[in-house]
Amino acid sequence: MGSHNSTQDILPGTLDLLILRTLALGPRHGYGIAERLRQVSDDVLQVGESSLYPALQRLLLNGWVKAEWGASENNRRARYYTLTAAGRKQLAAEREQLTRMIEAIQKVLRMA
Amino acid sequence: MGFGLVRILRRAAFRLRRAQLSRDLSEELDFHRLLKEQQHLRNGLSAQAAGNLSKQQMGNMTLAREDSRELWSFVKLERLFQDLRYATRIFVRAPLFTAIAALSLALGIGGNAAMFSLVNTLLVRPLPYFQPQRLIRVTGIYPRAAVQFFQQRSRGMDVAAVSTPSELNLTARGEAIRVSGSAVSASLLSVLGVSVARGRNFEAGEDSPGRDGIVILSDSLWRHAFGADPTIVGSSITLNGVHRQVIGVMPPDFSFPSANVQLWFPMRLDSSNFLEYWAGEFVPLIGRLRPGAAILQAQSEIRTLVSQFRRTFPYPMARDWNSDAAAIPLQQDLVGDVRRKLILLLSSVSMVLLIACVNIASLLLSRATARRKEIALRAALGAGRARIIRQLLTESVFLALIGGSAGVLVGTGALSIFKSVLPSSLPGLARAAIDWNVVAAVAALALFAGLAFGIAPALSASQIDLTDALKTGSQRGTGGVWTRLRSWLIAAQVALTLVLVVGAGLLIKSLYRLSEADPGFEPRGILTVRMSPNQSLCIERPACIALYARLAKQAEELPGVAGASVANTVPLDGNLPTLAVDVEGHPKSADYPAPMLWAGAVSPEFFRMLHIPLLAGREFARSDGAKSEPVLLISASTARRFWPVENPVGKHIKPAGSRQWRTVVGVVGDVRQYTLSQGLPTWVAGAIYMPYAQSTLGDGQIPASMTLLVRAADSARLRSELRRLAEDQNPDIPVGGVQPLEEIVSGSISAFRSTIQLFISFAGVALLLAAMGIYGLVSYWVSQRTYEIGLRMAIGATRRCILRMVLAQSFRITLCGIAGGIVAALALTRFLASLLYEVGATDPWTLLTVAVLILAVAFTASCVPAWRAAQTDPTKSLRIE
Repeated sequence: MGSHNSTQDILPGTLDLLILRTLALGPRHGYGIAERLRQVSDDVLQVGESSLYPALQRLLLNGWVKAEWGASENNRRARYYTLTAAGRKQLAAEREQLTRMIEAIQKVLRMA
Repeated sequence: MGFGLVRILRRAAFRLRRAQLSRDLSEELDFHRLLKEQQHLRNGLSAQAAGNLSKQQMGNMTLAREDSRELWSFVKLERLFQDLRYATRIFVRAPLFTAIAALSLALGIGGNAAMFSLVNTLLVRPLPYFQPQRLIRVTGIYPRAAVQFFQQRSRGMDVAAVSTPSELNLTARGEAIRVSGSAVSASLLSVLGVSVARGRNFEAGEDSPGRDGIVILSDSLWRHAFGADPTIVGSSITLNGVHRQVIGVMPPDFSFPSANVQLWFPMRLDSSNFLEYWAGEFVPLIGRLRPGAAILQAQSEIRTLVSQFRRTFPYPMARDWNSDAAAIPLQQDLVGDVRRKLILLLSSVSMVLLIACVNIASLLLSRATARRKEIALRAALGAGRARIIRQLLTESVFLALIGGSAGVLVGTGALSIFKSVLPSSLPGLARAAIDWNVVAAVAALALFAGLAFGIAPALSASQIDLTDALKTGSQRGTGGVWTRLRSWLIAAQVALTLVLVVGAGLLIKSLYRLSEADPGFEPRGILTVRMSPNQSLCIERPACIALYARLAKQAEELPGVAGASVANTVPLDGNLPTLAVDVEGHPKSADYPAPMLWAGAVSPEFFRMLHIPLLAGREFARSDGAKSEPVLLISASTARRFWPVENPVGKHIKPAGSRQWRTVVGVVGDVRQYTLSQGLPTWVAGAIYMPYAQSTLGDGQIPASMTLLVRAADSARLRSELRRLAEDQNPDIPVGGVQPLEEIVSGSISAFRSTIQLFISFAGVALLLAAMGIYGLVSYWVSQRTYEIGLRMAIGATRRCILRMVLAQSFRITLCGIAGGIVAALALTRFLASLLYEVGATDPWTLLTVAVLILAVAFTASCVPAWRAAQTDPTKSLRIE
């Protein structure tokens, strides 16, 4: 079945950040986001649909992305998600927060 | 915060489009799976394998859907609505239970809402005057001379006087009407801090002779008698024959000193008029604390001033006259002894509410047990204990709120009933209404009640063993802490009910004793009609004497009339004519001031008509006229008091201001003149009667207002004839309605009777609730023990045996409740003591009767379920298990 480093291994709450970062590069549909994450992380980050779509709904509720129906590559209807201005701000904020967290953890791990 | 609001709005928008969003999500998930499948195909799998793999890899789609859906709804809110909808379904399916519960609550909460409103208006809400906490009443009553004395010498307060309202003749536009009016000092309005709505207030000094020919009207009098005439200020009216100019109209809800007062005129302070200034009516004093003064200051000042004032009296006053004068807050004075009655009513109503809550708690407990299967099912489907408890509590709070809203309606009705029991003269009584404060209090009460009686059943029901409940689906066993709790609840209910019913019983017995009490006269078969001319008509004594002699003679000649007489007052009509007297052989001194006697002015036939017995000497005769030797009749208790061993006939008494002694010619039986329970007030030493032609009031004049009594059968025709006869005597004289004497007598205890009726209804409601409670409890027991009963019958118990068993258990609980109730009753009924007449607060017969009554009610309530138990078919009940 392949290695399943699913999102349970990721720090909770970072899924939102990852999705926002992916969408910063341009609008994508749900499958596209999951694929991109898998590709860029060399198969480490594999987001399941049961976490992805609720996360997207949450982002919609908070107003950080917006969704539109459009035509996909194979001419079927697909829902494309776009980052909003508020989303961009949230991305920057969460990114900084996570960076700080990781630095702190690294300091602890490095300590003698 | 702004972010939160936007989120909520967005969520609401999602909620509205939930169905569409759900479809969108399905389409999206489908698309996702399709792309996955295409990917697998590209990787080389077969079409079928690709399809299966992609489906497997999709993960938990249901979870995705559920989690997404949560974001499209207000989860907590929707769960609440879900619970409410379910609760409604349950209530509709069990209409009897819902009706009983809602009704009990409505009665309990409604009664309490009405009481809240009354207590709030009368006891809690401050008086509607400026800075009401600085208003005080000086206890005791004072002659008019005291008003100026206090006003000039008091440093801590501004003083004003208000006389008790009296009936006056008002002549304005043609006919004369009787109104209630109060003489007040000119400073009253400024002391209270209120002002007229039209015209002007009294000015300082307008209570001196020459400037006091003015009057202020009440708003209701202005509207009803003068048609809200805007030109009323400045016009002239005639009050008891005296012309007065209207200078103002008070605002609508001004009701000082009582709600019945319709006009205020200055109290004439004329030091040259000895009788009026020093010996006339004594009035209460009120005051406003000056800025910087405290009530303790006023207190000590009053003591000093009273003792100084006493020394200025031109005649000896008792050494301890008003020595206990104190300053009390005005609000306390106005509400006074009604406070005790209010608190009594409040406690009783709270008890009824408590009983209702206990009832419902007990009902809910049994229903919770009956629903065990359903609740177990919920638990099996995944509901946690907290969720189940929340659902059950939602149900009970919902029920409580239903009961509460019905209670507001009941409360409005109850409030008007309560108001009729309290004296209508109470200022501010009319203002009591169910307003938003009360509704809020009711809602809070309902919420609290719902939680209180819902918590026990919720806890009990959620505590289940899943497999056991689902498997058998039966309700085995009678033990368990909750069942015992239920039994104790019912016992407590019985105890509370006993207390209320005992209270009602004691009051009923008092009423019975009161109605059996011998009032000293025979009221049956007498009609009365009152005439109230101005005192000015009787300045010439012969005019009035002739008037009433003529009236009596003409009345006697009417067909159907067997006798007629006149009197200045009939017993129990509320008048209290008193006279300070000198008694032969009892000289006055500072320690023995002039006694006050009740003074009747009657025509000779009076005693015979009312069957008042003559105990010694002779009655009045026609020969006892204006020019003959002045004579008196005294009552038996007066004779006993002043001449306990000697023969009173031949002794002398005279009015304190007069010089001529009057001879006692006879002794008549005691009559309960003022109240049916007491007779005369304690400060009145006895009663004397004078022939009308020789009679005198305190100021030396002959009484002008008299009542005509005729012995005849009551009929509408006779009533109108009597009235016309009275009116024909003189068109300027206001004539009251024709009333049978019996009506006057029963009217004197009407307030007492209303109070009793109220108590009886409380007791009745409590009894009903207790019966329902016992019925519920016994049914529950029986349903719990169906198996056991079947078993007993199978091994030989007869139906009667089963019946006895169930009834015995019910009796055990009832007896516990009765025992507890008797203890509580012995402790609590002393608070009723002031209302009781010739009945002890711990009267054993009443206790016994009530105990038996409650046993009977319990028996009746237990009968039906017990009989049903005895009808159990053992084969069926044993097979259920």
